[in-house]
Amino acid sequence: MKIHKDSFWSKHIFSEDHKTIGKQFFWLGLFFLFFGGALAMLLRWQLGYPEQPVPIIGKWMWPDDGGIINPDIFNQMFTMHGTIMIFWAITPLLIGAFGNFLIPLQIGAPDMAFPKLNMISFWTMFLASLVLLSSYMLPLGTASGGWTSYPPLSSPAGGIPGLGQTIWTIALILMGAATMMGAINYITTVVRLRAPGMFYFKMPLSVWGLFLASILNAVFVPVIAAGLVMLLLDQTIGTEFFIAGRLASGDPGDPLLFQHVFWIFGHPEVYILILPVWGITSDLLSVFSRKPAYGYKVTAIAMSTVVALSSLVWGHHMYTTGMSPLLGKSFMFLTLLISIPSSMFFLNWLGTLWRGSIHFDTPMLFSMGVIWVFGLGGLTGLYNATVTADIYLHDTMFVVGHFHYTLAASVMFGSFAAIYFWFPKMFGRALDPFIGKVHFWGSFITINYVFFNMMVTGYAGQHRRIYNPTEYDFLKPLSGLNEWITIFAFFLGIFQFLFLLNILWTISRSKICEKNPWKATTLEWTVNYPIPHGNFDEVPIIYYGPHEYSRPDIKDKDWLGQNELMEVKKWQM
Amino acid sequence: MNKPRVMRQLSNRWKTMIHAGIWFKDPPKDVSLDGYRIDSVIQYTDLVIGIYFGIVVVALIYFIYAYRSSLGNGAVYDHGDKKKNVIVTGGLGLLVFCSVDVVIETIAFRDLREAFWNFPKGENVLRIEVLPQQFAWNFRYAGPDDEFGTSDDIIPTQNHMHIPENTPVVVQMASWDVIHSFYLPNFRIKQDATPGMITAIWFQATEKGVFDIACAELCGNGHYKMKGYLTVESKENFDNWLIENAPELPDDDWDDWDDAGEETGIPEEWGWTWKELK
Repeated sequence: MKIHKDSFWSKHIFSEDHKTIGKQFFWLGLFFLFFGGALAMLLRWQLGYPEQPVPIIGKWMWPDDGGIINPDIFNQMFTMHGTIMIFWAITPLLIGAFGNFLIPLQIGAPDMAFPKLNMISFWTMFLASLVLLSSYMLPLGTASGGWTSYPPLSSPAGGIPGLGQTIWTIALILMGAATMMGAINYITTVVRLRAPGMFYFKMPLSVWGLFLASILNAVFVPVIAAGLVMLLLDQTIGTEFFIAGRLASGDPGDPLLFQHVFWIFGHPEVYILILPVWGITSDLLSVFSRKPAYGYKVTAIAMSTVVALSSLVWGHHMYTTGMSPLLGKSFMFLTLLISIPSSMFFLNWLGTLWRGSIHFDTPMLFSMGVIWVFGLGGLTGLYNATVTADIYLHDTMFVVGHFHYTLAASVMFGSFAAIYFWFPKMFGRALDPFIGKVHFWGSFITINYVFFNMMVTGYAGQHRRIYNPTEYDFLKPLSGLNEWITIFAFFLGIFQFLFLLNILWTISRSKICEKNPWKATTLEWTVNYPIPHGNFDEVPIIYYGPHEYSRPDIKDKDWLGQNELMEVKKWQM
Repeated sequence: MNKPRVMRQLSNRWKTMIHAGIWFKDPPKDVSLDGYRIDSVIQYTDLVIGIYFGIVVVALIYFIYAYRSSLGNGAVYDHGDKKKNVIVTGGLGLLVFCSVDVVIETIAFRDLREAFWNFPKGENVLRIEVLPQQFAWNFRYAGPDDEFGTSDDIIPTQNHMHIPENTPVVVQMASWDVIHSFYLPNFRIKQDATPGMITAIWFQATEKGVFDIACAELCGNGHYKMKGYLTVESKENFDNWLIENAPELPDDDWDDWDDAGEETGIPEEWGWTWKELK
């Protein structure tokens, strides 16, 4: 075993230990989650109570406008909300924190394949965060072209003043570099460093999800990186990759090219975010039903199929750009194909619960919450995949509600489940179950109200990214509903503070808990907290799949660890 | 003394609030020939996903109730990986695909073929060019000679578009600056207008009235008030309106008209004349 000598700096700051890096990503992601959440609250205030002064903080933040959010600030806020939530909150939390923490531990590896690259990945991400936040100090504010930042709006030709858009592009390029480093690292680790006996089809589904997400990251982040570099050149040295002349027959640049490049990455990106959640949910449902994950191989293969299909469907974001009818039809067909593998692993989730022995611990509540919100989020994708319905629904709040169901509700519930579940392994202490349950029920009710009614307002015609919906006559009947959504969104926000308090309180107060509080079978539960740099004292040998629960041939307990050799039936391995 | 009235007002406010919070919201009134197609495909999707999600919820609640650990029954050791299980999951997946996706796709492709991508041709069709800019809508009608880019083109006041009732209208657009999206909620249609390329959409109004035109693609800080008015009127009124808005014919060439254009904020050049699209 390699012996690590760590000073304070190499142990806590520039650490090459995947667990420490995972925790660094965890805190970074948590910080930005609350930052992006605060922006969401302000956005909701403006939509629910248009052009009224923001209570308490308004006078202090925007004294010139009498505490009212002005249209420029509003555009900046939803741009930063989207950017931060996707790239700085969910990505670090799921892929950065849990990818780092879980992959080596669950496959029985001493660390990542490239520990130094791992460290550089986090600090590149940290640099990207500083660059992004620095745009708040610019006199004309941050980027305001939406998280999609379509040129020419996001280029100097588009009339957004100031440097915000350029800083945004640089921050995203740095973020992409960090993500690529992580992705290469995760893929190599899974391919090369699995412990003896840990075949691909013995890996926990969480590792499957993170592995597949990393493959998508490695393939598609370079695509968006190329697009962003071209955008940066447009913004800084005056190239015209994405800038067309004013005349329809004019200059050679093509604004649509950016949309293609963006969505070739952008659609896989939503799967990058949700794949770890699918994996984690599949595992946790099995743990708390005390029953093997139903159709484990089918789930793994179905997830891989979605990965393959995800790269062929980006055009469904562009139905209204005037694409050729043939393309529109093809993209619709390919998009709908995804519903076959998705419904298969979705049914497997229900199959896991069927004839199980269901324990209602907090991680389980959130995992079952994922079944609900992902069910709704996935099904409502059908409207947007339909070319005709999308002519009406595109760029409305319906789309916003739909992707918040999948990306905000499903991914956040998956992340919460993961945090409640692995907290004892990451920080040695179990989060308070009572506060956890209040957190779940509070979030579940409010998140459903908020996102379902966003879809309702979209169906009623409200388009997205508008500062004041009461400008339009056809949206006037919606002002009452918008107010309600805002009220529920505030409660949703308040419940997240319970979660934050739970984390802080648990870390500072409560006692170190037992090694395997959930009686789970995977390898990370075989090591004691604090896990030493290098993880396992000796290389674990794997005999069983990740979900050996309620085996009838063992009597004293209802689970069997992946590396536990049953004495009677050695030949079975 | 005032209290009862205050209470009554309060309770009325609550009633409206509660009604606003839980009552289903209809989309804006459909006044187009083909808008019903979009409403009906959405309603079919509502129905089938309602059924499937209902089944999922019932199963979830039943499993939570029937297999709760407090019953002490223990779990069944079943990997669900036998051929039989895989066939059932795969079969159910296919069933969902056939009953939802294939049907929606058939409806959508039929509607595209029959309506949305089937551009009307002939004498009867009204052609309009739309040139959005930050943050206004410009419209151009061909005028008496039925050709765009000539001196008799009719360019009405910004943000005001008129069309006759029951006449197919083909709208061709390109953007002056950034990407905009021509959104008519009452007609259920939307089309991006992009600089450097020409896009088109068509629709037909079935009712008179004034309806909102909105910009659906983020185009800057004035995006939210980039609002226009579409007036649907009778053929006679429309023709009168065209005559009212006809340009004063210049003495020799149309340079004079250019100067007039600047005052109204309408771009001097449109950049393209009508292009027959395939």
